[in-house]
This record gives sequence, C-alpha cells and structure tokens, in this order.
Amino acid sequence: MAVSTILKAVKQAIWVGWKVETNWADPLVFAIYYLIRPLAGLLIVGFIYLIGSGATGVFNPNYFAFMFIGNSFFIYVVQIMTTMGMLIHDDRSHYEVLKHIYLAPSSLWWYILGRALNGVVNASISLLLTLGFGVAIFQGLLHQQIPINWFSVNFPVLALSLVLGMICFVALGFLLCGINIMTSRVQFMLSEYVSGILYLFGGVVFLPEILPSWGQAISNALPITYFLRTIRFAFLNQAGSAFQTDLLYLAVTTLATILVGVGAFKIAMYKARKDGLIDRKEEY
Amino acid sequence: MLDNLVLNLRVAYARLWVRVKGGNREPEWLVAEMFIPVLTLSAYVFMYRMLHAPPEFTGFVVIGGTMIAFWVNVLWNMSAQFYWEKETGNLEIYLVAPISRMAILLGMALGGFVNTTLRAVAILAAGILIFQVPFSLSEPVTALLMFFLTIVALYALGMLFASLFLLYGREAWHTANLFQEPVYFLSGSYFPTSSLPFFLQLLASFIPLTFGLDGIRQVVILNKGIADVWLNVLVLVVFIFVLLPLSKVALNYMENLGKKEGRLTLRWQ
Repeated sequence: MAVSTILKAVKQAIWVGWKVETNWADPLVFAIYYLIRPLAGLLIVGFIYLIGSGATGVFNPNYFAFMFIGNSFFIYVVQIMTTMGMLIHDDRSHYEVLKHIYLAPSSLWWYILGRALNGVVNASISLLLTLGFGVAIFQGLLHQQIPINWFSVNFPVLALSLVLGMICFVALGFLLCGINIMTSRVQFMLSEYVSGILYLFGGVVFLPEILPSWGQAISNALPITYFLRTIRFAFLNQAGSAFQTDLLYLAVTTLATILVGVGAFKIAMYKARKDGLIDRKEEY
Repeated sequence: MLDNLVLNLRVAYARLWVRVKGGNREPEWLVAEMFIPVLTLSAYVFMYRMLHAPPEFTGFVVIGGTMIAFWVNVLWNMSAQFYWEKETGNLEIYLVAPISRMAILLGMALGGFVNTTLRAVAILAAGILIFQVPFSLSEPVTALLMFFLTIVALYALGMLFASLFLLYGREAWHTANLFQEPVYFLSGSYFPTSSLPFFLQLLASFIPLTFGLDGIRQVVILNKGIADVWLNVLVLVVFIFVLLPLSKVALNYMENLGKKEGRLTLRWQ
C-alpha cells in the first residue's frame, strides 16, 4: 500500500475520531468535559494525600509531586484504552460502519491507528488542562508546594518517554480491539480492567515497593511502571536515578506489548473474517 | 385506582425480573463489577498506607468503594437506561403502553438494587478480608436505616436523571460520564468530606451520597449511633421527598418536549 494512501487513511481516521468525540458539544463544553473527569481524579488523590498526611502530621512534598505526575500522565492510559476499547463495538454494532471501513481501499489497521492517535491528541489536551488547573488549585488555592521546576523539565527524556509510552499503549489498544472483534460481551469492562490493573500495579500513586512481593513482580513486568519512572525523571530531575535502565526496560516492555497486541489483532482479524464476525451485530 | 396500582406493580416486577435476569446471565459481567472496583479501592488503600494514616482510613475507602457500586448502577443502569432503550427500540413500546413511566423506573431501581447489592457485598467482603478493615458497629439498625435511605435517595436522583435521556442522546451520555469521578470526589468516597474546603462542602451537600456515606461511616467505623447521625437521616429523608416528585414532573415534561421535537425515537444522536 502506498505511503500516501496510508497517511490519508490515518489523517481521515483522526478527523473522524475528532468529529465523533466532539460533535455533541461546542469547544468550550468539550474542553470542560475533558478537564473535569481527570481533574476530579487528581483531586481525589490530592485530598487523600492532604488528609492522610494531616492525620499523621507528616507532609512530604516530594511524594505529592510523585503522585501528581503519576496520576496526571495516567490520563493517556485511560483515554487510549477507553477510545480503543469501545471502537470496535461502536463501529460494528452501534454505528454499523465497520464493514464499510473493512471494505475500503485502505486497511482497518490504519483506521484504528488514526482513531488511537485521536485518543492521544484528546489525552494531551486533557493532560495540559489537568496539569494547569491542578497546579492552580493545589499550589495556588491550597498552598500545597509541588516541588517541580516547570522551566527545567528534561524535554528530550520527556519526548522519548512519551513516544515509547504512546506506542506501547496503542499496541495494548490493538489487543483490546482484537478481543472485541471476537466477542461483543466485554467491551464495556475491558478498558476498565486494563486501566484498573495498570493503576494498581503501575506505581501511579504509590511506590510499587509497598505492594506484596507478587504485586511487585507484576509491577516490574508492566511498561507503565517504567513509563512513569522516566516521566518523573524528566519532571523531578531525581539525581542518581537509573533512568537509562528504566528507559531500556520501557523500550523492551513496549516491544513485547507490540508483539502481543499486534499479533493478537492479526489473529483476531483472520478469525473474524473466517467466522463472519466483521458485521456481526449484537445489542449490547 | 386499585387496578391501576396492581398494573403498575406488575410493570415494576416485570422490569425488575428483566433487570435481575439480564444482569446476572453473564458471569464475565458479574466478575468485572466485583473485581474492577476493588482495583481502584486497593490503590487508594495503599496510598493511605504509604502515608502511614490510621487504619480507619482504610475502612473509609472500603465503605466508599462499596457505595460507589450503587452510584455507578444509578448512573448507567438507571439514568442511562432510557438511552439504551431508545437505541434498541424498546422506549417507544414503553411509551405507548398504558403504564406509568415511574413504574418502569421503579422496576429498574429495584432490580438494580438487587444486582448491585450482590456486587457490593462482594466488594465489601474483599475489602474486609484483604485489608483487615477495623469495623466497630454497635447499632446495626441505624446502619441499615442509613443505607436504606441513601439507596432510596440515590435511585430517586437516578429517576430524575433518566428524564434527560428521554430527550438527549450523546450529550446525556457524556453528562453521565461526567458525573462519575466528580461525584466520587465531592461525596468523599475515599476520604471524609469534613476535610474539604467550605465551598466544596457546599457543593457536596447537593449529593445524597455525601450524607449517606458520612452517616454509614460514622455508625460502622467510628461506632456512633442515631444520636450522632440524626441530621444525616433527616437530610436524606428531605432528599427523597424532594427528588421523587421532581423526577415525576421532569419525566412528564421531558416526554412532552421529546414528542414535540420528535426526539423520543431518534437513534444515533
């Protein structure tokens, strides 16, 4: 397939995704919508920190920054999993367009990739708004010090971590699409499962070291753990942190996720075509 | 009059039966609804442990996580139900039948309550067993009263929201989405709301779950009694008496508006 055809398909899919996600609201309402949920999530963990610390009388701003960054960047996981977890159901059963997309000259792969990239764009908007309002609320209104120097962020490390992280989460999204092609029963819960497991074991709001040993083993196998470590390195400039090792682990776990996600989707598409599942409509 | 009452009770029972049967026919749903809340709840328990907070905070999280199951049920299986019914073509059948819309919603609420109680018990049991929550309960009747009033107030709120779905499609869907985390935050699902700034406490006081959670925690974890939570009881009763008639008015209004604008049977909004 020509590169121009692929690029066109991806571009159109991003555009379709944007339209589907946003056409129910004007831009201001949309921005508020994309702010409120993640901000509420951040406020929950922020107040858990404030109230828990208040109960013991020990405030640790470094832990607050750890949690603030972890919870904020987790938006990418939630957004991409939600977008890709519902994509097949929406297009096959709800809007009934999956068969048409499948028949188009381009490939379903590029369409899904485009929709996933739209999820990345939406998550980025959400992240920027959440960081801005989060700092304004906690630092400005509640006078909670967040020891992050926003002018000395290590942008090369941040960019590299984001690129690897996005590739990894999109690959994980392909796995969800593959599962959803095969069944119409789990689309509403699949993204919640994945997000929930990554939230608990990925060191998002607490150090994985306090998990039981089996939980730490799971944590060590998850790319989100290394993604958040490298992101925190970029923001918090922790001296002596083995960020190169974390980056390497992130790359390795991302590669493993690509192999699993893409492989599972390929097998699912083959079976879906064989078993006539591409236009199967179920009322769920 | 009596015939009408019997008819509507039969409607409620029929809708309850469908809800209970439909909600439990697929084990994967049952497992997910028990397992997924435990994941988030566990993360917050570990956060408190990392902060070395007193053990009652673990209890707060477990109780909050359990009650959230009911809020999620109210939002998606009660309020948003008319959206599903519209999409699948059932709504028009309900509307032409000689029955009360409130009876359908009552059936949904009761069915949802049965299903969610099963899941909530599992979440609570998991929380207690995994995290060894220190409960201290001397007035179980007060705890049950608080729980019952909270549930009725929540489902009354759900009936009110359901009227929105008669008219709107995706906007209402996104609104329901929007009401999840912010309500978890404002109602103090994972921490006591008394620690919130005044403005946020004011906002939180519009949510029945806030008073219910606070009352249940006081009775179940802090070993307090009816003398300490009577205000919570009173507020919940007021919520019920305001929300139930309001939801009936809202349903009639939205149905008429939907008829005028031709949106009652509109799919893919």
